[in-house]
Amino acid sequence: MKRRTLGLLAAALFATPVLAQAQSVPVGAIEILSGPNAAYGIAIKAGLELALDEVNVKGVLGGRKIALTVEDSAGSPDQAVNAARKLIGRDKVVAIIGPTISGEMFRVGPVTNERKVPTLGTSTTANGITDIGPYIFRTSLPESDVIPVTLKAAMARGVKTIALMYANDDAFSKSGFDVMKAAAEKAGLKIIDIESFGQKDSDFSAQLTKIKSLKPDAVGISALVEPTSGVLLQARQLGFGQETLFIGGNGANSPKLGAIAGAAADGLIVGSPWFIGKETDGNPAFVAAFKARYNKDPDQFAAQAYDAMKIMAIAIDKAGAVDSEKVTAALAKTDFKGVMGPFQFTDHRDPATAAGVVVLTMKDGKFVILK
Amino acid sequence: MTIPGWLDDFLWTYQTLIHDLGINGLLALAMYVVLAVGQLSLGQAAFMGLGAYSGALLSMKLHWPFALVLPASCVAPVLFALAIGVPTLRLSGVYLAIATIGLGEVLRSVYINWDYVGGALGLNGIPERAETWMIFSLLGVALLALFLVGRSRFGRAMEAMREDATAAAAMGINVRRYHLMALVTSAILAGLAGSLGAHEADFISPGEYGFEPAVTILSFALLGGIGNPAAPVAGAWFLTLLPEMMRDLPEIRLALNGAIIVLAVLFLPRGLFGWRMKRRAA
Repeated sequence: MKRRTLGLLAAALFATPVLAQAQSVPVGAIEILSGPNAAYGIAIKAGLELALDEVNVKGVLGGRKIALTVEDSAGSPDQAVNAARKLIGRDKVVAIIGPTISGEMFRVGPVTNERKVPTLGTSTTANGITDIGPYIFRTSLPESDVIPVTLKAAMARGVKTIALMYANDDAFSKSGFDVMKAAAEKAGLKIIDIESFGQKDSDFSAQLTKIKSLKPDAVGISALVEPTSGVLLQARQLGFGQETLFIGGNGANSPKLGAIAGAAADGLIVGSPWFIGKETDGNPAFVAAFKARYNKDPDQFAAQAYDAMKIMAIAIDKAGAVDSEKVTAALAKTDFKGVMGPFQFTDHRDPATAAGVVVLTMKDGKFVILK
Repeated sequence: MTIPGWLDDFLWTYQTLIHDLGINGLLALAMYVVLAVGQLSLGQAAFMGLGAYSGALLSMKLHWPFALVLPASCVAPVLFALAIGVPTLRLSGVYLAIATIGLGEVLRSVYINWDYVGGALGLNGIPERAETWMIFSLLGVALLALFLVGRSRFGRAMEAMREDATAAAAMGINVRRYHLMALVTSAILAGLAGSLGAHEADFISPGEYGFEPAVTILSFALLGGIGNPAAPVAGAWFLTLLPEMMRDLPEIRLALNGAIIVLAVLFLPRGLFGWRMKRRAA
């Protein structure tokens, strides 16, 4: 008797998840959850899960829940590919969100594209991501859309000449620099100097001294947040004042800039697809819900992920079936209003508009909207 | 021959991992051959990078068939090994390690500043030509060859100079020639691994051949042991599988990975698989 009860109990325990799984729609995500770049992936995971819970209240395809499996890539392209293969081969996901950085996407994209599984990057900004294939999408604005907006704001303040600095040993920084250079030339700015450094460097005085002697109106920096902070700190020591406008690439768009560089970062401008005080429908509610659940402010990456999860859920719902081909077709027709603003894809599966980009400036160690 | 569906699915899911096992096995052997003669030479990542870049360029720019690309990928690493071998083999121990790591870093900054090979962005769109059977037959052949060499009188000489190079030289062994031969063999194995890796991954970038991979390759051999050629390969397999086996514990994955290695080094100084090869009496 006792044994039978146990058996029944065990059966009930095992049966419930199986039943739920049969009805749920498997979606995968690959993010950096461990290692030095884990901050990005953890923010993205938080945004995805917040949106997931909201989506699953109603469900998709007539009440089916989305089951999201988030795999860790540890920032390694190899592990990201292993995760993608596991999600597709074992978990049979209908779509994948991520991976976190462009270098991972260049490895994962060809694999998911070959298997015709739609893959939606939320934070991959390098050029050429969507060239990988017709199943690769991204909601993150490529730098080539953001930087012209930043430069326009700089020119409105009278900037005519610019010096560029970048980290030449890091794909993200190099790609951002290429975009910055092309955008500056196109906007008619005079580039009077180009200097490079290594992303782990801590001394930039040779480059900065040379730039100072050339007296540019602005200095554009394409690097991750740590070296960008280092450049700013040293520039102030060398006597760069507010007459020189510092312009950051996407790497500078992090609250860490204020935390590391402090007052030295004041006056720097940066373009951003999102801002905590952005006045779109739903943004205040998103910020409040995020704070309530995670006890901290959301950042750009969480906001992008939050929108991406909802875009994916709508696409699955519109597809009418758990079918990667149909989800891909539905994704392409996305017409969404999220916390970032209105969103559609171009024919090339990139974000259609950069209208949502705001230019921020550092003031007392915090980003505020540039007025 | 038809493959059943479930096996096909399994192989597809773990394809990258399975290929990595083979490639990392070759790299572990590249480390083994220099450690086996007592040289702490850490140029394997640099050799691998040369093999990967030269192989990728031959495939992408000159459209050579892979059967030619693969052996040709060894040329640049071997030339590099010969060029650095003569001066660096005067060094030993930690000085040799530092010099070889430095040379690897020099190559890394060459890739970064050379736009023809993509600079920091790396090379994209390398044809996927490395097949599972190629990787594992090369690994098998290399293992077998090293076993045979290890059991021969060369193996005895190698072991002698590993324990004491001066004593071995006094016994009439040409230590320098062995050192150079080991370095060239190491360059061939690592060059093959690099080229296979590049034609497996579709994308390579300079960071994959810098200091970190050099240390990872060393850890394959340290963890496995160098008593016989199978030991470093087993060490490489262990370290390659470990992060995948711990997928369910994302928060403590890296910490656990490190802890296991530290414990292994502390308590198994001869490596996890540290038994010695049997050799017939001469």
